[in-house]
Amino acid sequence: MTATQDRQEQGAVGGTRTINLIQAVTEAIAEEMERDNRVVLFGEDVGARGGVFMATAGLQERFGKHRVFDTPLSEASIVGAAVGMAVRGLRPIAEIQFADYMGPGFDQIISQAAKIRYRSAGQFTAPMVIRTPSGGGVKGGHHHSQSPESYYTHTPGLKVVMPSTPYDAKGLLKAALRGEDPVIYFEPKRLYRAAKGEVPDHDYVVKLGEAAIRREGDDLSLIGYGGVMPDLEKAADALAAEGVSVEVIDLRSLVPWDRDRVLTSVQKTGRAVLVSEAPRISNFMGEVAYVIQEQAFDSLTAPVGQVAGFDTPYPYVQDKVYLPGPNRIVAACVQALNY
Amino acid sequence: MIQPFTPEPIRYVAEDGTPVQPLPARFTPELLRELHGLMLQAREFDRKLITLLRQGRTTFYAQSSGMEATQVGLARSIRVGHDWVWPYYRDHTLGLAMGVPMFELISQCLGTNSDTCRGRQMPHHFAAQAQNFVSISSSIASQVPPAAGNAMAQKYLGVDEITVCTFGDGATSEGDWYAGLNMAGAAQAPALFVCENNQWAISTSIREQTASETIHIKAKAYGMPGYYVDGNDIVAVMEVMTAVAEGVRAGQGPALVECLTYRVGSHSNADADAEKHYRTREEVEEWLGRDPITRVEKLLEQLGHPVSAEERAEIIARTHREVDEQVLRAEATGQPDWRIIFEDVYADVPDHLRQQEAFLRAEQSGGPA
Repeated sequence: MTATQDRQEQGAVGGTRTINLIQAVTEAIAEEMERDNRVVLFGEDVGARGGVFMATAGLQERFGKHRVFDTPLSEASIVGAAVGMAVRGLRPIAEIQFADYMGPGFDQIISQAAKIRYRSAGQFTAPMVIRTPSGGGVKGGHHHSQSPESYYTHTPGLKVVMPSTPYDAKGLLKAALRGEDPVIYFEPKRLYRAAKGEVPDHDYVVKLGEAAIRREGDDLSLIGYGGVMPDLEKAADALAAEGVSVEVIDLRSLVPWDRDRVLTSVQKTGRAVLVSEAPRISNFMGEVAYVIQEQAFDSLTAPVGQVAGFDTPYPYVQDKVYLPGPNRIVAACVQALNY
Repeated sequence: MIQPFTPEPIRYVAEDGTPVQPLPARFTPELLRELHGLMLQAREFDRKLITLLRQGRTTFYAQSSGMEATQVGLARSIRVGHDWVWPYYRDHTLGLAMGVPMFELISQCLGTNSDTCRGRQMPHHFAAQAQNFVSISSSIASQVPPAAGNAMAQKYLGVDEITVCTFGDGATSEGDWYAGLNMAGAAQAPALFVCENNQWAISTSIREQTASETIHIKAKAYGMPGYYVDGNDIVAVMEVMTAVAEGVRAGQGPALVECLTYRVGSHSNADADAEKHYRTREEVEEWLGRDPITRVEKLLEQLGHPVSAEERAEIIARTHREVDEQVLRAEATGQPDWRIIFEDVYADVPDHLRQQEAFLRAEQSGGPA
């Protein structure tokens, strides 16, 4: 959906408000809990405290302890219990405090949540959402800053989402909760308060699997998702000042991902630079690059560029250097433009 | 009132068939004969499936011979189709006793078109919606946290169902097991955890598995009662399990029952010669002397209602006949075709899977791939 389409949809029904990304998450949860009493929310510290980032602030007070509750400190329990609840007919939202802590829940995600529909041929299914703050830029060190989304994109049966705007954060979360599949919903924590934007007053969803064109351009397609998106915009601004017209695409969801919108853009511009802060090896953007060379090879006037995190654990002190940032993105774009 | 945390396994019937405490009134000769019939049927099912394995008609099988009293007793202690069961991979006797049609079990083991799971899983990993018998997973103990969640949902929904979760002794070493029991305990969810302690996790003995003297004692750590039962005494299994299940149903919180039993056969066809490698013939012989089926036969004899050789032979012959019939019936449905690869991954087939499906369609029809 383009920015123009966003405005049209919002304008069609009523007013809008400006909120930040974390408020969008809270609103999405609250509205879905209001709409559907099968929706329950749980995790570590989500109740009275409202979550370490306050994403669930006020929800326990509003919906009661039976619907919003703290659990034992155990990701295997949180994810596994969500699977069992979903199988028995609820719509659980499981919060994992940091994406870095998903490890103990990994078996539950890949062995149970992702596969129960397939292995039982639909006799039992697990529609559920695992929400988790992800990514760096908050001085968190490597256990509070990683971007593990690629592990999950590699597991069939899971859907993987990462918004970068309040509008998408709200609409994608609502869509995830109304869907029939398990969704891993990564929240770029450095944008929680930094990303502000308009959301409509009325109910809406953003369909999973559709990329957003943040700005249109003719010379190069700059593609990213999640926490790096503001840096893509800054890079595009810098390039625009030099007379380069950049098309900026936000994938919004990785599984499924919007091949058509990406390919159409690359066929128009002839150049693509892919940006993600996750380590480079087996980075999800490697799949995007592969599909571009497979499907749009003849349109390419330069090799597909990639800007990623380094293949190291996430460093605490040097995290600004570790993250891609506008300069590195601009450099990759210039390399593609000068090829 | 059944006592938790007994030092010795609770039993009603000794190995020679003598009651060691008064038999509860419901254990009439008719009921005991019925239970005996179910256990014998399960044992013969095992025997026939091993034959199918040797014939190459299936590729994996995990026997439950020796464990019939535990599984049949559990099946007869819960409300089938009302309660929910998260089983482990050695629970086909439990499934049979819960009324999962033999045809479905065999279809799954053979991976035929009649497999309700559509040939997605290796043999012996079935699911049965009508019985709320949730899909079996090979990943050890991974069913335990979901079972806790299933029970939490039941509490949330205010229904009078319980969730039963079974596992072997090996599973109790996994992190998921601790996580699941702790979660259920903290949530006071209606979960009944059943350890089918058959004393061997493939070739690792219970003594190498844990320094804990028993499994049921671990319940203390999770704030729930732990019961220790002679898992080869079907009267004891049913008495304890029924009482504990109804307590769980009544809102008393979760419970753990350890049924001490023994896997007489090998773990699976992957270690067909267990005695040669990791356990002694003497040990197996000792446990054969505690056989659950023989025990009920001796009990019935003492009660003056012996199972005649003819009756026994009839049950065996009937089971063999039924397995043969269901095998032919299942095989006649053919194998699921290539389309099963792409369905049920998601609620709807996403575009990237549609493209891969189109590729395989072309390849399978001999066209350009």
